[in-house]
Amino acid sequence: MKAVGARLPRYDGVGHVTGQTQFVDDVRVREMLWAKALRSPHHHAAITRMDTSKAEAMPGVEAVITHADVPLLEYGHLSALGIPADEPLLAKDEVRYKGQPIALVAAEDADTARAGVEAIEIDYEERPTLFDVRKAFDDDAPTVHRWGNWYPHFEGEMDRRQIRKGNIEEAFEAADTIVSGVYRPAAIEHAPLETQVSMVVPEPDGRLTVYSCTQALYFSLGVMAAHLQVPLNRLKVVGGTVGGGFGGKVDTASETVTALAAMKANRPVKWRWTREEEFLASSTRAPWHMEIIDAVTSDGWILGRKMLTLHDSGAYARFSPYGLTKHSFHHTGAYTIPNLHFDGYVVFTNRVPTTAMRGFGVTSVSFATETHMSRIADVLGLDPFEVRLKNANRINDTSPNMITYPDPSTVDVVLSIAEATDHSLDDAYMSMSRAQRSGDMLPEHLAAQIGEGHEHASLHALVHGVDNDSEGN
Amino acid sequence: MNITLNGVSRQISSPPLTPLLRVLRNELNVVSAKAGCEAGGCGACTVLVDGRPQRSCLTAVGSLNGAAVTTLEGLGTSENLSAVQQAFVHHYAAQCGFCTPGMVVAATAYLDAGGSDDKEAIQEALGGHVCRCTGYLKIVNAIAAAATQSEFDLTITAEEPNVVVKTGGR
Ligand code: FES
Ligand code: FES
Repeated sequence: MKAVGARLPRYDGVGHVTGQTQFVDDVRVREMLWAKALRSPHHHAAITRMDTSKAEAMPGVEAVITHADVPLLEYGHLSALGIPADEPLLAKDEVRYKGQPIALVAAEDADTARAGVEAIEIDYEERPTLFDVRKAFDDDAPTVHRWGNWYPHFEGEMDRRQIRKGNIEEAFEAADTIVSGVYRPAAIEHAPLETQVSMVVPEPDGRLTVYSCTQALYFSLGVMAAHLQVPLNRLKVVGGTVGGGFGGKVDTASETVTALAAMKANRPVKWRWTREEEFLASSTRAPWHMEIIDAVTSDGWILGRKMLTLHDSGAYARFSPYGLTKHSFHHTGAYTIPNLHFDGYVVFTNRVPTTAMRGFGVTSVSFATETHMSRIADVLGLDPFEVRLKNANRINDTSPNMITYPDPSTVDVVLSIAEATDHSLDDAYMSMSRAQRSGDMLPEHLAAQIGEGHEHASLHALVHGVDNDSEGN
Repeated sequence: MNITLNGVSRQISSPPLTPLLRVLRNELNVVSAKAGCEAGGCGACTVLVDGRPQRSCLTAVGSLNGAAVTTLEGLGTSENLSAVQQAFVHHYAAQCGFCTPGMVVAATAYLDAGGSDDKEAIQEALGGHVCRCTGYLKIVNAIAAAATQSEFDLTITAEEPNVVVKTGGR
C-alpha cells in the first residue's frame, strides 16, 4: 500500500510531453514500404471477379496480398478457446460489411500504394442487407452469414445463451405487478487518436518483428501465428505504447496482413489506417437490444425476470459470444432475483464487427438494469433507493450463473450515493449492510438461493457457461 | 527551399504541395507531431510556424520558405522541461500521449501570447484539439497552472519509487 496517497508520476509522462514516446508510426526503419487496403464499398456483396495483375505490374508496387496468400484464411479471436472461426483475414468470395478488407498493396510510398489499390479490378454482385437485429429472425430476412443470422455454436450447439434459474412461472403467478422495458444503447466508435497501425520488419534470421498498436499483444501473437501457420518463435511482437484503445485495439486488426506483405516483399511494411478507415472499418462497441419483463410485488421485491437480449455482432462473431456470455451472467445487475428466464442471441448484421469496449457486454446490461430499477420504483410509487437496497446483492446470495457472492458491495454503494446526494432514507435502510440476509430482508422467495452457488467463475465458465446453464427450455 | 526547424536550418526536397506533417515525419524524421486525421480535424499535428500554432497536416510546405517551425522537440527536453511540459506531467494531462504534442504546442503558443489562467479562454484557445482519453479537465488545469507557475513538483513520494523523473526549469 505504499502507493496509496502518494504522488506517483506517470512513468511515461516525460516521454509524452517531450515527444520522445515512440508510437508505432514513429518507429523508423530503412527501406520501409507503405500499405493501403482495398476495402469493400458494399455492405453485402458477392465478389464475382478479382484481378490484381495490373496492380502487381505497377512500378513501385512491391507486394499485393489477397486471400490466396493467407496460409490459414479463417481463424477466430476465440479459436484457442474452442469457439469456431468465421471471419476470413481477407475477403474471398463474399463481403459482409462496408470497409471489409479484400486486398493489401505495399509500395514505395503511400500514393503508389493507393494507385495500386485502384488498379485492382474487381466485380461485385450486391446482396440484400440486414442492419436491424430485430429483423434478423423474420422469415423474409436476408441471410447475412453462412451460419444463419445468429450464432449457433454455444456449448451443446445451442443457438443462444440461455439461463434458467428457479421457477419463472411461479414468480409471475405470485407477482402483484409486471414491469417491462426495452433498452437499446447504440454502437460507439472508440475513436482513438492513433488509428490502427502496424509495421512488420522481416529480420535476417527469418523472424518477423511486429510493431503493433494492439492492446492485447498475446492475442496478436496467437492470431498471427495461426493465420501465418508459423511457430510462435518466428514472431517478435513489440507493443506497449497504445495511442488510445478503449477496447477497440483488442482485435488483431492490421498486423497479420501487414506481415504477409512484408514476407512477400521481403521488406518492412507499414499499414496505418486513415481516420476515415478508422471510422468506417474499425470495430465498434455493439448496439444492443434488451427487453426486460419483471414480476414484482407492490412493496418492491423482484420475484422474477424474463429477459431477451439481441447482441449486434456485426458481420462476424469475433469476441461477441464471450461478450454476450458475460452480459448474461450480469443480467440482474447488482441485484438478486431468484427466478430467471434469459435468452440472449449473438445476431449477425451487415454492420462492422463489434468488439470490446470498457466492460465488454456488461455496460449495456448495467444501463438496462439500472434504468429498469428506477422504472420499477416509478411504476410502484416507491423510493428508487429503497427498491435497490431491498433487492441488493448480499453475502451468500447467488448470481444468475450460480456464483455465490462472497462480499458484494451493492448496499454500501447505494447508501453512499444516497449520502452524497442528500437522499434521506428510513433508519431501517440506513442501517443496512452487506451481511447475509435475515429478518425483513429475507422474504420467502429469496431463502432458497442463499449459498447455492459455486465459489468462483473461471474463464472457462465465462466462455462455455456453467453446468446448470442450459437446463429447462 | 529552407525552413528553420527548432532553431536549425533544414533543406527541404519534398515537392511544395507536400503537407508539412509529412515533411517533418518522413523527410526530416522529426516525429513528435502526430497524424491523427490528416484532415485538420484533431490538432495532434500542431506545430508553431513563426510562433503561431498551425495544423501541419494542412500546411503545404512550399508556403513556408524561410519560416521558423517549432515542434514539441523544440520546446524542452527531458532534462529541461518547460513550464507547460512540467504542468502536463504534474497534472496528469497526458494519458495515452497521442494528442499531447499538439496540446503542449498549442498551450505554449497561448501562454506565450499572454494567455491567462482563465479556463474558458484556455478552452477557447484549445478548441479543435481532440483528446479521447483525459476528458480535457486535466489538460485545462495544467495549462491554467502553467500560466502562473514555472516550476512543478515532479518528485515521487512513494516509498520505493521505480521511476525516476528529472525536473528542471526553462
Ligand atoms: S492530423 Fe492534422 S489536424 Fe489531425
Ligand atoms: S491523451 Fe490520449 S488522446 Fe489525449
